[in-house]
Amino acid sequence: MAGPEADSQFQFTGIKKYFNSYTLTGRMNCVLTTCGGIAQLVLYFKLRPKKTPAVKAS
Amino acid sequence: MNENLFTSFSTPTLMGLPIIIMIIAFPALLYPTSNRLISNRIRTLQQYLINLILKQMMAIHSPKGRTWSLMLMSLIIFIASTNLLGLLPHTFTPTTQLSINLGLAIPLWAGAVILGFRYKFKTSVSHFLPQGTPILLIPMLIIIETISLFIQPMALAVRLTANITAGHLLMHLIGAATLALFSISTSTALITFIILLLLTILEFAVALIQAYVFTLLVSLYLHDNT
Repeated sequence: MAGPEADSQFQFTGIKKYFNSYTLTGRMNCVLTTCGGIAQLVLYFKLRPKKTPAVKAS
Repeated sequence: MNENLFTSFSTPTLMGLPIIIMIIAFPALLYPTSNRLISNRIRTLQQYLINLILKQMMAIHSPKGRTWSLMLMSLIIFIASTNLLGLLPHTFTPTTQLSINLGLAIPLWAGAVILGFRYKFKTSVSHFLPQGTPILLIPMLIIIETISLFIQPMALAVRLTANITAGHLLMHLIGAATLALFSISTSTALITFIILLLLTILEFAVALIQAYVFTLLVSLYLHDNT
């Protein structure tokens, strides 16, 4: 298994500096973003109000 | 015959009371202890074997990982001696029970993972994304790596359970077949008996190998997280 790589050996610019699959920081941010996105999706579907059908007047 | 095949895996009781705790604690009684620096032959041999396994297993670890030495040595000795004792006829083997193996695997795996998240958060989290993954595959691979992480303790427990249970079942079946064939055809019974002997030798090896594999994998999970 490869040891901890030096982040300084990769020179990324822009958004790739924070989100890439090469540096430790980049990989961590990708993982946290993905997990956060999935958690938000789950929370949204759990917490959204359930639509109740309108009762028709007889 | 079907009932006889599976009754050896049921939890043993004595006069209605479960004696599983005594059976789990029993292998520890087989290892003599001494407070002398230089002891008798058996104790010296025991120390030599434990040191051999200890050096081989803990060589790759950092000082933090080596704090788990006692845990891992106890683990391998417990599983190996339990598996070997289970090869004796009419004994109950605790490691055939998934509950016991899960009870070993889950806390050890969780301890290693929590240690990793506590002391090396960045490295632990970045393990979920292999280096050099193409951008489009990142979300899928993170999900796959998460699933593979949570499968690790299940695989540990089920591997040990399945190997030991399958071996014991095979020995039961082939032993019963040998007995049944003895009155029908002696030569066939002899062949079956030779197969049973070879299987028993294999089961001795499997008992030790499975203990080693279980402990090695826990040690690797620890190494990844320390």
